[in-house]
Amino acid sequence: MTLIMHSSLLLIFFILVYPLLTTLNPNQQDSNMAGMTKTAVSSAFFVSLLPLMIFLNLKTEGIITNWQWMNTQAFDVNISFKFDHYSLIFVPIALYVTWSILEFALWYMHSDPNIDRFFKYLLTFLVAMIILVTANNMFQLFIGWEGVGIMSFLLIGWWHGRADANTAALQAVIYNRVGDIGLIMTMAWLAMNLNSWEIQQIFALSKNFDMTIPLMGLALAATGKSAQFGLHPWLPVAMEGPTPVSALLHSSTMVVAGIFLLIRLHPRMENNQLALTTCLCLGALTSLFTATCALTQNDIKKIVAFSTSSQLGLMMVTIGLNQPQLAFLHICTHAFFKAMLFLCSGSIIHSLNDEQDIRKMGGLFNIMPATSTYFTIGSLALTGTPFLAGFFSKDAIIEALNTSYLNAWALTLTLIATSFTAVYSFRLVYFVIMGTPRFLPLSPINENNPLVINTIKRLAWGSIIAGLIITQNFPPMKTPIMTMSITLKMAALMVTIAGLLVAMELANLTSKQVKITPMISTHHFSNMLGFYPMIIHRLIPKLKLTLGQSAATQLDKTWLETVGPKGLALTQMAMAKITNDITRGMIKTYLTIFLLTLILATIPVLL
Amino acid sequence: MAAAYLTHHQKVLRLYKKSLRHIESWCIFRDKYRFYACLLRARFDENKHEKDMMKATMMLKAGEEEFWANQHPQPYLFPDSPGGTSYERYECYKVPEWCLDHWHPSEKAMYPDYFAKREQWKKLRMRTRPVINLNILE
Repeated sequence: MTLIMHSSLLLIFFILVYPLLTTLNPNQQDSNMAGMTKTAVSSAFFVSLLPLMIFLNLKTEGIITNWQWMNTQAFDVNISFKFDHYSLIFVPIALYVTWSILEFALWYMHSDPNIDRFFKYLLTFLVAMIILVTANNMFQLFIGWEGVGIMSFLLIGWWHGRADANTAALQAVIYNRVGDIGLIMTMAWLAMNLNSWEIQQIFALSKNFDMTIPLMGLALAATGKSAQFGLHPWLPVAMEGPTPVSALLHSSTMVVAGIFLLIRLHPRMENNQLALTTCLCLGALTSLFTATCALTQNDIKKIVAFSTSSQLGLMMVTIGLNQPQLAFLHICTHAFFKAMLFLCSGSIIHSLNDEQDIRKMGGLFNIMPATSTYFTIGSLALTGTPFLAGFFSKDAIIEALNTSYLNAWALTLTLIATSFTAVYSFRLVYFVIMGTPRFLPLSPINENNPLVINTIKRLAWGSIIAGLIITQNFPPMKTPIMTMSITLKMAALMVTIAGLLVAMELANLTSKQVKITPMISTHHFSNMLGFYPMIIHRLIPKLKLTLGQSAATQLDKTWLETVGPKGLALTQMAMAKITNDITRGMIKTYLTIFLLTLILATIPVLL
Repeated sequence: MAAAYLTHHQKVLRLYKKSLRHIESWCIFRDKYRFYACLLRARFDENKHEKDMMKATMMLKAGEEEFWANQHPQPYLFPDSPGGTSYERYECYKVPEWCLDHWHPSEKAMYPDYFAKREQWKKLRMRTRPVINLNILE
């Protein structure tokens, strides 16, 4: 059984890498790279179901150590893959979502001349993500980590003629780099103190160490990669990339890499209260802040991006609650409905001739019934409607939050963020699907392409039943608290319904002629993203440039030049100039002095 | 007219148009927008016969300040206009026109009219290019 499992898992790698190898062939004529990629990913998905079934049946987990890469006397770096509970569930889900997105991209990027390169980039990203997820040591994880970062840069800046896209790609890379500082610091600490980067050895050896430094490093890494508050601005601007990129990278797979890292190394975090509290508070703050920003945005992709950021905050809160399995469950269910929301948005955008502003959409329910149905299903799953996918993870998280003995501030923030989720989801559905049309009459609206509809239908099935399937088959590792008062149990649902009612009332008010502008100060705070990007993107470069200027003028110019040689030269020149100017043009004086000197010189000779 | 300064007329019209666009960004539903657009038009119309330029300029200044205070932070921009979502998106696929000279004759034969006209255009360009006099020392 283990042989079947390990060979099928390695087969997945080879199936995915094969299309990349065919692109190395210099004679590329009529290669159907795009179609081949999609077929490769779908076959990899079906192959990956086999180890999943074996795991379900027999609970087999595996670690394959293939190759001793860089081994010195004291330190080993191997290539080893870990196929445990987390990676065995995540790989099929990632492959399923990627399969759907690639099929969608065949339609969306159809008119792009470089579609083959696009698929190559997406496939490279997928391979890097799987390396990250199945890594058994920190070095391999780091390879995958950097790989997804670079592919994110290349894919966000896909339309590199557009200045905003290049800025967005740079922002993504720079913010991720700041997070990487934390990861590298953790790796250095582990190498120095535990002398190993293998996950098993880290768990075994670190019982007596104070793990605060590496855990803070990991928290910083997750802040960068998973767009927590402080390093979050790159995620909404990453929507400059094409919609398949946003669907794959910035909703389902790449941004959960940070959370996945924390889940992998969670046994080390269990005992460190500081790390747990940091994750909890950071996650709660992120969740509320980004949900607030999503309330007044007008670009459909930005609203979904902020909702992703809010859900990532919720996952961070779950890590802080000491429930890595629930965080993982939320990662899996979130992948389905978030990718579906992005693909529905992509279908709508393409149909309305690249119109992304929800102020110019509306009434799509009768014109695009399938897309709007799936959009509604996705939004319902996002808000945690009972018994859809999001419910199983979100409700469990809020219950765990309510029944644990901790920070009431984090609890309040998370509940408010949950109600805001309902508000902006309803706002989105109201402006995009309900009402009367506000777009141009001659828009090429169609959803008769099976590439689009079948993919979104597949993800819709996932959004509905994935939560049920995963929770029924994988019992929880930590005992959830089953007894709580009715208020606590229904808290998530009540808060969501309250948000929904408020949103319906506000939407009703929008269509009446009450007044033009809402309350200006709160609207501006939310719309300008709390002014955070505006301040940080100007303050930090300004500080650096001021530091540079003071270093250049005070240190270099003053202390090294003027005090020494140049100052001396300047004073000498000044004195010489004054002396010169005083005695200019006085010919008579010069001749008189000359004669006097001559007389004075000749008198002793005569005498 | 293309001069260095804007006339008062141009300034008033520009203020009117951008106010309308920002009202459109705020009032999402068309009937509400139409209501407030009519109110704005009435406000502009009641002062349109003002003969005193100083008063008119002061009113324009007050109007600009009111616009600044009430503008929408994310006004609606058309996708292809500067700042829009698909502006400059296809710049990376645009090829400079001298590449057309390197086409194979069989490819050029597919578009005979265009390439004939292109030869005439190139001759015209050579004839009318600006002559830079390098003899500045004389």
